[in-house]
Amino acid sequence: MSTKLIDFKSFVEWDNSPFILFDNKGKITYLNNVAEILFGYVSKKELYDIALLYAPQNFGYKTTAITLVYDAFNFYAITVGYEDEYQLSLRLYNSPRVKPTYKLEKDKLLITDINILLEANIALFRTKNSNKLQLLTDQDLPLFKIDQNNFSKLLRKTLNAFRASDSIDISLKLLIGQHVIIENKKEAIVQFNIEANGRYTDTDDEIRTLATYGQINCIIKEHSIKLEIPLIQ
Amino acid sequence: METFFTTSDKIQHIIKSFNLIKTLFVSSIIIGDAHIGKKSLARYLFPDAPLVSGKNQEEVKATLENYDEIIISDFEKLSNPSDLDFTNKRIIATANYLGNPKLIDELFAFIYTMPVLQERPDDVKYLQHKFITEAIHTLMLDKADIDLDAIPMDLSFNSRSLKQSIYSHIIKQTIHIHDITKLLHDYFYAHFEGNDNYRKHLGLYEKPLIEAGLKKFGSQLKLAEILGINRNTLRKKIYEHKID
Repeated sequence: MSTKLIDFKSFVEWDNSPFILFDNKGKITYLNNVAEILFGYVSKKELYDIALLYAPQNFGYKTTAITLVYDAFNFYAITVGYEDEYQLSLRLYNSPRVKPTYKLEKDKLLITDINILLEANIALFRTKNSNKLQLLTDQDLPLFKIDQNNFSKLLRKTLNAFRASDSIDISLKLLIGQHVIIENKKEAIVQFNIEANGRYTDTDDEIRTLATYGQINCIIKEHSIKLEIPLIQ
Repeated sequence: METFFTTSDKIQHIIKSFNLIKTLFVSSIIIGDAHIGKKSLARYLFPDAPLVSGKNQEEVKATLENYDEIIISDFEKLSNPSDLDFTNKRIIATANYLGNPKLIDELFAFIYTMPVLQERPDDVKYLQHKFITEAIHTLMLDKADIDLDAIPMDLSFNSRSLKQSIYSHIIKQTIHIHDITKLLHDYFYAHFEGNDNYRKHLGLYEKPLIEAGLKKFGSQLKLAEILGINRNTLRKKIYEHKID
């Protein structure tokens, strides 16, 4: 079968695994859709360095099993290849998502304004703490279905992890172009991010568990906690 | 409609948080000492919600089945709180103490701690004024007859002790000599025991008399003269009644 006339570009463009083409100076000459989102979480230099490090010794392609984590992106392998001295390609393979063990009972979820829940939780936080707090939220976020009680507990615990932090930055925004599949339905994602100069880690496991109940992706780091909440309609 | 007065920042934040979640189905609990206004606050914020006491688990359970919004007071007194289903209900509970922190943490999304009256001086002033007005009205007294500045503020049991100390003080200030006589009469009548009752009850007269005299005149010498008794007799009585 001849493939000479087939234009593969759009297949690569819409592939769910990131694909990046660098020139010999590390400048990006092409990247597909998902790679564009990936660059929101990792620098161009870091990926170029990885491509150089794992490139085959001669012209051709080499696949290496390597775990790379950039926020919600989780890769288990990469393929680096080049056919001339001017172009270097890097493809990253998504780790399969772990199937949620907890089934979301959609009929029990209530349509909610997440900004109200967040504001109420901040007021609760304020009854015990007087830390400096900066809040940046998108007031136009659409209403969506959520377990109000469980999500409030999650917010309380997440905020509480920052009870002794000096300066806290909170943001709530829609993740443009990113989706999650829940019960065969594509849902948009709202990202809640809180970060400070330091935080308590004593309730990290409880935060993870509560997030699991709501099928919320939880990214916990030393100075920040990120919750990726499915915008269930 | 009930009103709730406070200038406490902490309580203002609690009210703000409650006002925001008024339309949501979440479970909240207000924890704090007895008689600090937890139930009044819940009633003020949710005037239409049925109020049930945790002393009666079955009643709480039945109310939960019939209503979406419910106030549960004395939550710590529930015999089996983990048996209650709060799913998609608006719960406002109050408790005098935390009890089982793990259970409270599992059941409630919003856990508020209400400060005691001692930490809320402006609220105390407001309550004091409210109780005084109420007492004067109830007892049908004239405000001018009462020395309001001398009212002691007993906050050991928050609003309960504050209210009791105000009523007690106001009643004492309006008491007449025949009331004192009647009180003593009733007391003696109830407390005659064994022999030597004259000496045993003499302190009821002598102790306050000497204490008031010492406070008013300062020196024992002067007081002995005022009382018309010997200085040594006075000293003996001060010792007998353990007066400082």
